[in-house]
Amino acid sequence: MTGRGLQNQPVKRVVIAGGGTAGWTVAAALAQHLGELLDITLVESDEIGTVGVGEATIPTIRTFHALLGIDEREVMRATQATFKLGIAFENWAHPGDRYIHAFGTIGKSTWMGDFHNMWLMAKARGFGGKLGDYCFEWQAAEAGKFAVSDKSQINYAYHLDAGLYAGFLRKKFQPKGITRIEGKIAEVEQDGESGYVTALVLENGTRVEGDLFVDCTGFRGLLIEQALGAGYEDWRHWLPTDSALAVQTGPTQQFPPYTRSIARSAGWQWRIPLQSRVGNGLVFCSEHQSEDEARAELLGNLAGEQLTEPRLIRYVTGRRRKIWDKNVVAVGLASGFLEPLESTSIHLIQIGAMRLMQLFPFGGDFETLAARYNRLSHNDFERIRDFIVLHYKLTERDDAPFWRGCRDMAIPDSLAERIALFRDSGYAYQAPDDLFSVTSWVFVMVGQGLMPTNFHHMGALLGDQRLRRALDSLKSNIAKAVASMPTHRAFVDGYCAAESS
Amino acid sequence: MEAQKARKIVIAGGGTSGWCAAAALARHLGPLLEITLIESDDIGTVGVGEATFPTIRTFHGILGLDEREFLRATRGSIKLAISFENWARKGDRYIHSFGVNGKSTWLSEFHHFWLAAKAAGFGDELGDYCFELQAAKAHRFVTSENSPISYAYHFDATLYARYLRTRCEAQGVTRIEGKIGRVKQHPETGFIEALVMESGERIEGDFFIDCTGFRGILIEQTLKAGYEDWSRWLRNDSAVALQTDCPLDDIPPYTRAIAHDSGWQWKIPLQHRQGTGHVYSTAYTTDDEARKVLLDNLDGDIRVELRLLKFLTGRRKSAWVKNCVAIGLAGGFIEPLESTSIHLIQSGVTRLLRMFPFDGCCESLVRQYNEQSRLEYERVRDFIILHYKATQRDDTPYWRDCRDMEVPDTLAQRLELFHESGHVFPDADDVFRIDSWLQVMVGQRFEAKSFHPVARILSEDRLRRMLETLKGNIATAVAQMPTHREFLEKYCAVE
Repeated sequence: MTGRGLQNQPVKRVVIAGGGTAGWTVAAALAQHLGELLDITLVESDEIGTVGVGEATIPTIRTFHALLGIDEREVMRATQATFKLGIAFENWAHPGDRYIHAFGTIGKSTWMGDFHNMWLMAKARGFGGKLGDYCFEWQAAEAGKFAVSDKSQINYAYHLDAGLYAGFLRKKFQPKGITRIEGKIAEVEQDGESGYVTALVLENGTRVEGDLFVDCTGFRGLLIEQALGAGYEDWRHWLPTDSALAVQTGPTQQFPPYTRSIARSAGWQWRIPLQSRVGNGLVFCSEHQSEDEARAELLGNLAGEQLTEPRLIRYVTGRRRKIWDKNVVAVGLASGFLEPLESTSIHLIQIGAMRLMQLFPFGGDFETLAARYNRLSHNDFERIRDFIVLHYKLTERDDAPFWRGCRDMAIPDSLAERIALFRDSGYAYQAPDDLFSVTSWVFVMVGQGLMPTNFHHMGALLGDQRLRRALDSLKSNIAKAVASMPTHRAFVDGYCAAESS
Repeated sequence: MEAQKARKIVIAGGGTSGWCAAAALARHLGPLLEITLIESDDIGTVGVGEATFPTIRTFHGILGLDEREFLRATRGSIKLAISFENWARKGDRYIHSFGVNGKSTWLSEFHHFWLAAKAAGFGDELGDYCFELQAAKAHRFVTSENSPISYAYHFDATLYARYLRTRCEAQGVTRIEGKIGRVKQHPETGFIEALVMESGERIEGDFFIDCTGFRGILIEQTLKAGYEDWSRWLRNDSAVALQTDCPLDDIPPYTRAIAHDSGWQWKIPLQHRQGTGHVYSTAYTTDDEARKVLLDNLDGDIRVELRLLKFLTGRRKSAWVKNCVAIGLAGGFIEPLESTSIHLIQSGVTRLLRMFPFDGCCESLVRQYNEQSRLEYERVRDFIILHYKATQRDDTPYWRDCRDMEVPDTLAQRLELFHESGHVFPDADDVFRIDSWLQVMVGQRFEAKSFHPVARILSEDRLRRMLETLKGNIATAVAQMPTHREFLEKYCAVE
């Protein structure tokens, strides 16, 4: 025992129920940073599959990896990973439409206003081109190019194989003091009075005692819901899809450095390029499409050799009413589910793990810390929810009942206010607790066809000629930088090719 | 796109608010606007806010002000901190500085390490690990371009308004001398169309900025925005202020806030004089008694006679109504305990520029502005209340009532979290950083029962060494700086 006063630490034994991305992320983070203070046990069963839909990520994953000391090339090699500069949305506003939600910034903003106001002024005067012309990441994505260097400011994330990712974390961090127990959980033991969880009893009779439990058991929420009854807030009235079919296809010669999200008749299809294969799936609403119809639509829209049979996943979009209840903290799907439209699942896991470390209840002060943890986590979920709802609400499609329903649905007030604000004044903002930046909001709102009627007149200060010159020079600098980059494929081959591919 | 709807901007009232608004608009949107400012030499400015907050330097960057020129013009001095005396208990003193405490990690803030050391019986004062706080204590200061030091200013607010006015007039702002007689509204929409002066002159505008102070001639008397009364938490309602000679050989680079029996007294050192005043509640003392307390606690001869101010702490329910936005005291009043008045002015002006209603005042924009403004006032309010709530004084009814009051939920949650677990977190939209919350909570003897044991990962030896090194580095750096007085004489003294 190192350190002082450990005898005064009532919470020492952490039991993580479930492996997968969630379980191993939490275990790795705790072991890396608080390992000396804790006994960490992870219970998982090889017989229970992981959901593993979340194969695309957002740039915050790089911060998380840096905190865990994970080397980029190593993790990319181990997970067949490729780079991701954004998401291409196809057919969302109208059939045939396409825009990219890129991770970068747009043009040059000032303290007084964001760049898109200048662009809107140019559009009003009859020039200015496309908004994406002023975003480096957008242009690189479009050109299929990618490179990182010590100097580059490029903002990116990864596509990765979630199954391999959990394995990578396990291999790397288990030796740092994580006890892994193989087995299925048969029973959750609770204190008769307080209801606090005291131990997990496995099917083989093993009893795993703990002070704090992390529920990573997925949709079932074995501890948080089945034992504690934390409750679930159903958001299907805003996000009506409830099913996904996932299938893998063979690798392609060139892989785009972005995820594709293609709107279909009652949902949307993803394409996530890895080094060795392509992940595909169709998210749909069972009220408007049967499983057979969905399967036919998915299989009819695959490129490349089909490697697996489609796997069906059912879900209820929403969030656990208490993500931390008593001495159980839910991470991952046990805490809530938002469809992978903006690739936020792994982010929510990582932010959950970090927050748990920051608010770790060493002293047994569960309630005060849980209140804070829940307030922040609930907020995360709601902000992301609003951003996802935005994509559906702003559709102008009326070619299918599903899309008409989305277009006409009532939406959360917080989102309605944002849309009105942008429409009427061009003002977009990232609230202090927002995950998505002004750029993200603007890309999606403009991409979905919401062009503000009014905007900040900062562009008028320049006058037409100077405004035109400023925009042209931004555009050509980006074009030049993109032209000098290697293709995404060539870069991946040289930087992080997986051993087996 | 239609023609720009808001072109003629009328600012009602001068003072710090009016001239800050005019200066920023003229510099950044000048070519697109016609800016008129109306003020009367007969109406004095309140000008309590002579101490400021570090965000003023960002605002000055936006205005393109030269620091030396500004300090010379306003007889300004440097402010690194506020020294709170007699707050938690009589005889206590702590410093709330603008600096950062020690070195934090992403996992836990520095103070957890300090709390761990305290629990083990060493570690000294939290303030030992803050550069600005030590510099303030030593009355030392120096700056250079891109200096990492976090600081603000003390200055003469009347000279400040004059300084900004000169710049504004050179940038095309029209100043009209006179008093506002009445406000002409559109008969149907209620939008303001013009201000009619006592002389009969009519000043028309598309957009109006109310800088008329407490009265709120446009925002309240005309547009009836309403006022949220916060006096149940912040019970002071009066201040008596005067100026004295500066008797000190050396000028402290901080404001002093000295608690008295039914209020507190500020002391703000400028280059040539000291501003001082007593803020108090008439529910607990009288104007006469309050005046006597002030006169009994002066450091030098009186230069400018006593002035009495009456106020109601609170916030205008809507800072922006129709085509009028209130800036400064017309938007709300929070006592100058943490020198936030000028910050709130400048933040309001910056927000207005970012959300400027070129094409008309659409409702969603107005709501967004008001929401941001509300949050900002409430965050400041909570921080001020902290100073009163976290007192242990029971020597007067005033302090007993402060100690026993119910506080807003937002503040109660923060206090509970710190008390239970030692955690302090920045909240969305916070004006004050966690370093500020900590320095004040610790300074007010508000204790944490527990702390983040990540600090325990360090052995006692390493923890002790880490703290000693931090402290030593700060002490060395502070010792190398000139005194504040020496700095001012060299940098910006008035010939």
